Amino acid sequence: MGTVPFDRSVLKVNQVILMAGLIAGYAASFARPVASVALPVFALMMLHGAAVPPQSLPRVLYLRVLKPRGLVSPRVVVEDPAPHRFAQLVGGIFLAAGSLLALAGLYTAAWTLGWIVVALAFLNFAFDICVGCIMYAQLVRIGLLPLRRTAA
Amino acid sequence: MLALAPLIAAALLVLAAVALRAGQERQRRHLLGRVVGRDVDGPAILFFSGEACTICHTAQRPALERLAPELDGRVAVREIDVAVEPSLAQRFKVMSLPTTVVLDGDGRARAVNAGFAPAPVLQRQLVEAGLL
Repeated sequence: MGTVPFDRSVLKVNQVILMAGLIAGYAASFARPVASVALPVFALMMLHGAAVPPQSLPRVLYLRVLKPRGLVSPRVVVEDPAPHRFAQLVGGIFLAAGSLLALAGLYTAAWTLGWIVVALAFLNFAFDICVGCIMYAQLVRIGLLPLRRTAA
Repeated sequence: MLALAPLIAAALLVLAAVALRAGQERQRRHLLGRVVGRDVDGPAILFFSGEACTICHTAQRPALERLAPELDGRVAVREIDVAVEPSLAQRFKVMSLPTTVVLDGDGRARAVNAGFAPAPVLQRQLVEAGLL
């Protein structure tokens, strides 16, 4: 995958949905532990988004509802979307692990993973610091991930 | 116990940040004074960046552009995308982006900055290394 026009607003929508949903799920899980179902729900959203980006829920919501109504402005940049996809995959894996812990009744450990994802999503949303993307660059550097681009 | 989850998450992230900082300091100590850029022509600032590194584009690159007139052609600036040139990033043990390395004419590392390095800091490092 090379550099392509890429709308960062899709990422922002994804991060807002993720943060709001996980925090709401966490708050609700005090009263009803079943609210921890938010963990697998958002794990699926993240993993699906990483596997099939054009069909990801935040992307569809952004393109069909938020953008046409002018609620979110496009922010198109030319870059490689692969690091962002990898970051989404990492977030999905964390939430999937959290789901398994919740299933085992380990709610504190499960929501600790959920809060790590919330914190990393906030860093990306507020400051454009994408920790998953940094991990991606490091994994490419040490040869664990294939080099997808060539020098200009 | 459930109420502790955000605090435990925050503590784990702080620990990760401390570990990263320690790694960066090891990288700095490992490189300083060593000849690691023999194949780089003349004094240079190596700027390790990546496409997804926003601060590289919004802060570090403009800082280097602001510094360019002071360099007056005596010190070259070379931007290296770690995904495109992983072997170079490996040799310089780059752990975070941006990273800047000041090399003297022999290819010896005279300063290493993990994270954003403002133009005045780079300029001071060049002066201290006798390159400006």
